[in-house]
Amino acid sequence: MKLVDVGKFGVGVYNVRGALYAIVNYCSHQGAPLCQGLLGGTNESAGDAPDRVRRVRDGQIVRCPWHNWEFDVTTGQNVADARRRVRTYEVDVSDGQVYLTA
Amino acid sequence: MIVDTNVQPHFADNAEIRQYLPEAHQLRAIPDVEQQWYQAPGGDYRQDLYGEHYPGSDPETVGRHLFEDSGVDYAILNPLTRGNIADYLLNSRICAAVNDWLLERWLEPDSSNRFRGTIRVNPEDPKGAVSEIERLAGHPKLVQVGVPMQSREPYGKPMFEPIWEAAAAHGLPVAVHINGGNGVDHPPTFAGHAHTYPGYAAFMPLNYFVHLATLIVEGMFGRHPGLKFVFADGGYDILTPLMWRLDTFWLSMRDQTPWVDRYPSEYLPGHVRFCSSAFDGPVEVDKMQRWMDFTGKSELLMYGSSYPHWSSSSPDVFAEGLDAAQREKVLWQNASELYGLKEGVR
Repeated sequence: MKLVDVGKFGVGVYNVRGALYAIVNYCSHQGAPLCQGLLGGTNESAGDAPDRVRRVRDGQIVRCPWHNWEFDVTTGQNVADARRRVRTYEVDVSDGQVYLTA
Repeated sequence: MIVDTNVQPHFADNAEIRQYLPEAHQLRAIPDVEQQWYQAPGGDYRQDLYGEHYPGSDPETVGRHLFEDSGVDYAILNPLTRGNIADYLLNSRICAAVNDWLLERWLEPDSSNRFRGTIRVNPEDPKGAVSEIERLAGHPKLVQVGVPMQSREPYGKPMFEPIWEAAAAHGLPVAVHINGGNGVDHPPTFAGHAHTYPGYAAFMPLNYFVHLATLIVEGMFGRHPGLKFVFADGGYDILTPLMWRLDTFWLSMRDQTPWVDRYPSEYLPGHVRFCSSAFDGPVEVDKMQRWMDFTGKSELLMYGSSYPHWSSSSPDVFAEGLDAAQREKVLWQNASELYGLKEGVR
């Protein structure tokens, strides 16, 4: 993740398996610096597994450093409640330069 | 129409249960109904009902009080089973004896067709509980499964799942009710024992939330879409703040229980009902309407008298302060939907 100092709160740019995604550094819950949170995957239900969970979406879930809300950096959606999303930005790469569009 | 969803019928005397126990268990000690540390002054039941036989033990008297005096149309009978007894096999036989007695004394002779009953089972004996459900689930007047509030583990834990699965498979809600006459009791609060009876009576019913929270969080409702729980000691009035709490934690820690795929509170309408209790609700009745609409409680609550308990309440007193639509829901609609009771079909 690279935190870019643009806009009011900054924008985190993430490289997820070779594709770039950008989200605002501002949690939709209480305004924490979201992009400082841990980046990893999340768990989904797997009834047949011994621990009943399966690890998925590796490298694309950021956890807010304040209250652990999970967001998918590729969509901005909260994993628990998709309606609680954070803003995303279009990312373009041209001649080795990365452009964010607000 | 009025449905009373919480009535405790009793044996005429404590020894009567032995007539329904197999020979092999005749000499065993069984706690009396009122054998417990905490008790209302003068006894747990309405003072005017103590007599030669136990309060709530004569179907005709009970019928007169409920159907004539209170204007009730249907009454759901949920008898006590003398508490959690360490010998879980004996306890299961006690449950079966109570069930056989309920059928023989109350349900089968009732030509007015106003009484419905509960299949009491012992959750400490999951295999025995499942076979008791299988034995009786086909009876048209047995409309729910009954278990004690007192449990050494919350009801969301996996050892209980076969019981809930069997109840759901037969379309029977599971009613949780504090059991009198305790053999082995558990502390009534998280921090141990209450000092006096008011402390017990005020806080013991709130233990329902531990069962409810684990049923949701362990995914029991998610895995069994037909599973329904009735919390028969009330406590609906504290549901809202506790569900806010559970919803908030779920937003932060969803990944630890990913089978919970919606807000915990979203499981309530499809899976949870409450019987009313005299202790529930705001003291000032003008706050009642508004509080009922938080967390959709109007859809979850059903009138229950607790007859013949000392704190039993009439339909009118219970419904005081509610608006017309709320009244209809809690006095009969919610119960008639849950138990499949129809007006005029009696």
